[in-house]
Amino acid sequence: MKAVCWMGKGNVETLSVPDPVLLNPHDAILKITRTAICGSDLHLYDGFIPTMEAGDILGHEFMGIVEEVGPAVTNLKRGDRVVVPFTIACGSCAFCKKKIWSACDNTNPNAQLMEKAYGYSGSGLFGYSHMMGGYAGGQAQYARVPFANVGPLKIESDLPDEKVLFLSDIFPTGYMAAENAQIQAGDTVAVWGCGPVGQFAIASAFMLGAGRVIAIDRIPERLALARGLGAITVDYSEKDVDVLTALKDLTGGTGPDGCIDAVGLEAHSNELQGFYDGVKTALMLETDRPIVLRQAIQAVRKGGTLSIPGVYGGLLDKVPFGAAFGKGITMKMGQTNMHTYMKPLLERIEKGQIDPSYLISHRITLDDAPAMYKVWRDKEQQVTKIVIDPWATAVQADASRDPRVARGGVQ
Amino acid sequence: MAVTSSTLTEKPHAAELPRAEGASVMVDGWYMPPPEDKDGRLWQRTTALVQAEPVELYEAWRDLRSIPLWQEQVVSVTETGASTSHWVMRTDTSSDKTVEWDSEILADEPGKRIAWRTIGGDVDQAGEVIFEPAPKGNGTFVTVLQEFKMGKLASMWETFVGRNPKQAVIENLRHFKAFAETGEIPRTQGQPHGPRGTVGDMKKGMYGEKIPTPPGSSVGGVS
Ligand SMILES: NC(=O)c1ccc[n+]([C@@H]2O[C@H](COP(=O)([O-])OP(=O)(O)OC[C@H]3O[C@@H](n4cnc5c(N)ncnc54)[C@H](O)[C@@H]3O)[C@@H](O)[C@H]2O)c1
Ligand SMILES: [Zn+2]
Ligand SMILES: [Zn+2]
Repeated sequence: MKAVCWMGKGNVETLSVPDPVLLNPHDAILKITRTAICGSDLHLYDGFIPTMEAGDILGHEFMGIVEEVGPAVTNLKRGDRVVVPFTIACGSCAFCKKKIWSACDNTNPNAQLMEKAYGYSGSGLFGYSHMMGGYAGGQAQYARVPFANVGPLKIESDLPDEKVLFLSDIFPTGYMAAENAQIQAGDTVAVWGCGPVGQFAIASAFMLGAGRVIAIDRIPERLALARGLGAITVDYSEKDVDVLTALKDLTGGTGPDGCIDAVGLEAHSNELQGFYDGVKTALMLETDRPIVLRQAIQAVRKGGTLSIPGVYGGLLDKVPFGAAFGKGITMKMGQTNMHTYMKPLLERIEKGQIDPSYLISHRITLDDAPAMYKVWRDKEQQVTKIVIDPWATAVQADASRDPRVARGGVQ
Repeated sequence: MAVTSSTLTEKPHAAELPRAEGASVMVDGWYMPPPEDKDGRLWQRTTALVQAEPVELYEAWRDLRSIPLWQEQVVSVTETGASTSHWVMRTDTSSDKTVEWDSEILADEPGKRIAWRTIGGDVDQAGEVIFEPAPKGNGTFVTVLQEFKMGKLASMWETFVGRNPKQAVIENLRHFKAFAETGEIPRTQGQPHGPRGTVGDMKKGMYGEKIPTPPGSSVGGVS
């Protein structure tokens, strides 16, 4: 089959590799019909997440048709259409029983690597480094899905793939981010980052009763999408804009009740702080660039909540913990507990409350992926979300492009 | 002003610490640290929370013939008497080199505890596993204490397999737990990938990925 492989920092190739086979009794093999590139994939592309090996198949956002199931899989059969959560959970350990699915004890074959770095290991993830299990990912024509009784969500309606694909990660991630912000009716919520996770966090914050959402980014088309959802936008790159002042101004000097960091460890900054983190990460004295985290801790109101869906990987420098303590804030974070959210969010899509496909700007083939990783990283071509049809030829992919994509003159 | 304080280990008013028995992590309300490595004897204690009854887990551990399903590199365990058995273990991931030894069960308390020691062969070790109900019915704490001499097994293990023998004790309990809770052992060996190159291959060794994952209930396809 064809698969998108990580071949080193900044180097992704589409290669021919063997097809996956069943390895364990709870495995299923999926023929992938749609898969996407995520902001999290950029942390791998840019070399921020350790323990990648050349040849690793990327991708953790995918769906498809069940091709084959192992002898212990009881709730799926060949031909079923499913969306797969990016975190792998066993369903039987103490953490799965508590529904903290992304902390599953039994799905990371390399748990000892994560134990050394973090004290304890989280669940395995698809296509996301060997520390997270070393599972082959879904930017491919087929994938092996372990614990198929527990993860995959069956799609029984005739909703098109594009409307349900984002149940594999970014919609539940944005939703959990909003839930973690502990929103009370009428609250003001600030969201840093208007990428896919930020977009779904904004939409979900409104669903959960936020009175006002303030969205922060610098990319015009992403800010426009956020305004389309009803948010007030702040372009942090404008030279007369200071984010902390803006957030005070927009909250009567109080600060937002909830702050959501939907940017994570590769935050961009044109200030001295960004330069400082750039130098330190280049020298390996610091692993992450916590620019947004610092800002959000400063910005949140006294007793407010900070929700962090953005990924951090290691050691952070100059985090204003005194401010966090001084204001008595709550912080909630982590990989999404996918299995809790997929079904209720599918229901919202079925009821027409949201159509997640509005985010898609590019529809591509597997062969296009290496070039598109660069576009995605550099936020060129007004990219907002890239979806791959693993079976399309170049011509078909082009023909299937949604006319809405023409907005703002893309392509 | 200089503040002088007595060293942390100097506790003039403390009562004498109780002595730990076997694998226990606490005695009379005191936390017991694991034994220290000394005089060529190494110790590893490790513990896991497992969602099953103590008696089920005791029975799974006591079933000697199924040990090769979840212990790394163990090829076979054959019962040779009421409390004795013969063990064969692969020491090299790329050839069929083995070490063999005989083992004797010293204590066997159904649902609670098993203790063993070797009685001849290439290996000199002893161990104990205890099964204790976790607080409030939240499953079972399985605690293993393994003692071994830096002998042939330990050094071959590390040289050929690239796994520190202490880490092997930890990994084996992890496999036992996964097998007991889910009926399988998580694995990625045998899945597709692109060319690894020399660096990728080196990393596999470094990350302990060259040690074959025990079979558990695997359905084949494993390379
Ligand atoms: N917790 C989880 O389980 C989970 C799941 C998926 C993604 N994520 C993480 O969420 C984050 C966002 O993902 P995405 O797919 O939306 O990525 P993305 O790269 O498309 O979006 C990030 C956005 O942040 C903006 N940004 C950068 N610096 C900023 C700053 N200083 N202030 C405000 N905005 C800034 C960028 O312009 C971009 O639009 C990533 O870190 C990703 O790894 C986490
Ligand atoms: Zn993702
Ligand atoms: Zn679990």
